[in-house]
Amino acid sequence: MKNRSNSSPARAAAFLVAALMLQGAAFAQEAGAEAQGEDADASAKKNDEGDWFAVVGGDVYTGTGAVLRGATVLSRGGTIRKIGHDIEVPSDAKVLDASGLRVYPGLVALNARGVANRLGGSDYADTFDPYSQNLVLALAAGITTVSESGVAIKLKRREVKGVVVRERYLSTLNYTSNNPRSKSELEQKFEAASKYLREYRDYEEQKKTNKELKEPSARGVDPTIRAILENRSMARFNSTTRTDLLGIARLAQKYKFRPIVEGATEAWTVADELGRAGAYAVIVPRTRRDKSEELLRAGGSSIENAALLHRSGVQVAIQATSTFVDLGGIAGRDILHLPIEAGFAVRGGLPEQAALEGITIVPARILGVEHRVGSLEVGKDCDLIVLDGDLLHYQALVQYTVVDGKLVYEKDKELYYAHIRPRPTALPADAPDARRDKGEEASDAKEEGEETSGDEKPEDEPEEKPKEPEDKPEDGSEDGR
Amino acid sequence: MRSNSLLLSFLSVALAASATAAPAPADLLAIRVGRAETVSHGAIEHAVLLVEDGVIVAVGADLPVERGIPVLDRPEWTVMPGLVLPYSRLGLDGRAGAEFNPEVSPAAEILPRSEDYEDVLEFGITTLGIYPPGNGVPGQALALRPKGDSLKEMLIEEGVYLKLYFRADARSKKMVKDAWAKVDEYDEKVAKAKEKWTKDQEKSKSSKKPAEGEKKDDEKPAEKPAEKSAESSKGAAKAFVPPPPDDKVKPFLRVRDGKLLPLVSISQSADWAHWLDAIGERKFDFALRVVMQRDLDLYEVQEEIAKRGCMLVMEPEISYQVGTMRQRNLPAEFANAGAKVVLIPRGEELDAHEAWRRDVGELVKYGLSREAALASMTLNGAALMGLDKQFGSLEKGKVANLLFLNGDPLEPATQVVAVMLDGQIVHGEVRQ
Repeated sequence: MKNRSNSSPARAAAFLVAALMLQGAAFAQEAGAEAQGEDADASAKKNDEGDWFAVVGGDVYTGTGAVLRGATVLSRGGTIRKIGHDIEVPSDAKVLDASGLRVYPGLVALNARGVANRLGGSDYADTFDPYSQNLVLALAAGITTVSESGVAIKLKRREVKGVVVRERYLSTLNYTSNNPRSKSELEQKFEAASKYLREYRDYEEQKKTNKELKEPSARGVDPTIRAILENRSMARFNSTTRTDLLGIARLAQKYKFRPIVEGATEAWTVADELGRAGAYAVIVPRTRRDKSEELLRAGGSSIENAALLHRSGVQVAIQATSTFVDLGGIAGRDILHLPIEAGFAVRGGLPEQAALEGITIVPARILGVEHRVGSLEVGKDCDLIVLDGDLLHYQALVQYTVVDGKLVYEKDKELYYAHIRPRPTALPADAPDARRDKGEEASDAKEEGEETSGDEKPEDEPEEKPKEPEDKPEDGSEDGR
Repeated sequence: MRSNSLLLSFLSVALAASATAAPAPADLLAIRVGRAETVSHGAIEHAVLLVEDGVIVAVGADLPVERGIPVLDRPEWTVMPGLVLPYSRLGLDGRAGAEFNPEVSPAAEILPRSEDYEDVLEFGITTLGIYPPGNGVPGQALALRPKGDSLKEMLIEEGVYLKLYFRADARSKKMVKDAWAKVDEYDEKVAKAKEKWTKDQEKSKSSKKPAEGEKKDDEKPAEKPAEKSAESSKGAAKAFVPPPPDDKVKPFLRVRDGKLLPLVSISQSADWAHWLDAIGERKFDFALRVVMQRDLDLYEVQEEIAKRGCMLVMEPEISYQVGTMRQRNLPAEFANAGAKVVLIPRGEELDAHEAWRRDVGELVKYGLSREAALASMTLNGAALMGLDKQFGSLEKGKVANLLFLNGDPLEPATQVVAVMLDGQIVHGEVRQ
């Protein structure tokens, strides 16, 4: 507990810095984006080609912490070119009017099944069904990127080209106290790979002076582990118990890699250790697990899991209970309810911004595609969703989904939700925009301190107001006052 | 066929002889019916058809019939072209593997005098297209007339279309890409051979220059090696002959040149998307075979398919919008979007063949136009096999394959009263 409270201010400060950086410079890219710029089409996209697409007038939640009210997101050829105010939209651009609505980055859903690959088979580029019902439902839920079997896939509609964003980035490792042998074997593999890499580094250093030096042998070095230690892959563990999570955290700290722990039900009990390991946690906030009766320590599930992990510096990605499109028995807990799942983490104390990141940029980082998706930034793919309210609110519905600068879902034109609260028509210019005001209050919560003084005013006003009608007849006009 | 043609020539000589003698040749028949569904030119009331030597020579309303010509006078009847079923495995086994055999023909499977042919003829089916079984690329279909004692008698044409089974997976896509890669490989080979040939020409005889050796259109590259040796010795007298293509490449060369139509089986929109991805920039015509099923999402790509001018082979069935209870009449939607639709019986069994006309009639009640419905069983099927100059409509010059009914062909109660194949009544009692 001490640890948590200690790290909290530091974390907050780091957050602020990051937020400032991103706000100040739109070109600020995710760390490591250049290192991962392996896909050729990303560079090809930089060319001045393709169709212009603009989303104008919406409140843009970039996902990096910034909120730009009534701003424009301009993209060309599927890449975001500009975000901000007073942006000139080319006359031939397709324009989506999002005034009065909120614009968020498209959601990234981990471990999906049957969304991109309804047809079976493992070759996603060749089996992707761009017309499937599940795909449309996922787009309606705001999801624009999924990972299936560790492959990051863009949910493009009506096209099959370029759907696979990244393959084989994650390496699933087995580390569980139920199987002590494989556990120790894994440790040995890490040791061997780490030793080899150390020797190789030494060799590289000394090669300059001593040319006869022999290159260290890579024999017996597990290529997967080596890739993890060289940051070419990420280690993914599926573990729920405290003991395993602790072991993974220590292993990661020792060999200096950032583990991804999935499940992680009891992670809140070892949040500080995981935070020190720089871990990513993929959690299902609504999971329930009883504490082991034999243990005296804290255990079992906690609704605060995400919040406590976040406070300790663990990057939290949110996953739904069922990663299928499940319209049956557990409706409301399937992949189509990802933001609601994130909402439960907020209920447990996770800041809203972190919850948004937990379904956008954090899963994108886990998949190694944060240079393409996960937030609205210049140079990234134009994957965004337009909602009629707060993404984390149970009432909000996705009105539009855009993937690669193309409108792929329009609520009012699809079968599924068209009849539910059709998009509100624009209010007359002189009418007070109640919804807009509310939204501002909610998101300006950071400046609570200042607002408390401001909040007192409305309380005073009712006392003053009764006087107004009395004044009016005397003055004749408001201008006089 | 030789004996037959001999016989025919005999007959025609006899006919010619008689024609000079008498005003009415022996094999001339006038048919006067209440209504003719021409398919190509709409319906004609009080129609008269003139058939000579098994070919329609005149169609019109109330045409005068010369004295002496026998007249089949049935004002209560309706006549329409004999049905053309281009996609069938009638009476044959359907099992086979998924292999790449574009050169195969089902000719060896055909059993002449099978009762099946007799039966479907009674339903009014006068032309059949039989395709080879199997997935992958099982081979080329052939067109049959469902009557005859031998394959030669029955066979109309081989290689009427190339059957290709495609689905959205890596294997299917690879198959298609490989097939085209082989074509490119062959083209390269031809280009190289030509280059060499040109050089040889110049070497052996610098004065004489060859005019042109079209590499693509020549398809009879019989004696290349012999020619090669001859070339060097004799000089450059002969035109360039490209090296012979592999049996597996040949059909695709014909596809490229527009001489063979691939009929691509798909079962959903995703297959279509991946098929387009697999063929890439290549331009060639193809038709689609769509297996009708309850939830079929093909409406998603309807416009694309229609715009591309693809013919579609499908069953006359109502399907549902995926995941809903909304009925959709896809054949009608495709026809209305401008695609040529070929409707086929709903199954391989005889009952399905008998119900074929009725099933198509059912779709008319749900929005398929009459014209499209009638064409879907006749002219479009013939067009799929490239035989629409001979079959599929009541027009001058077409084969007299006629179907006589006691009412509207698209009404369920209407029955076949007679069938004419090549000018001969093969079913039904007809007295003139």
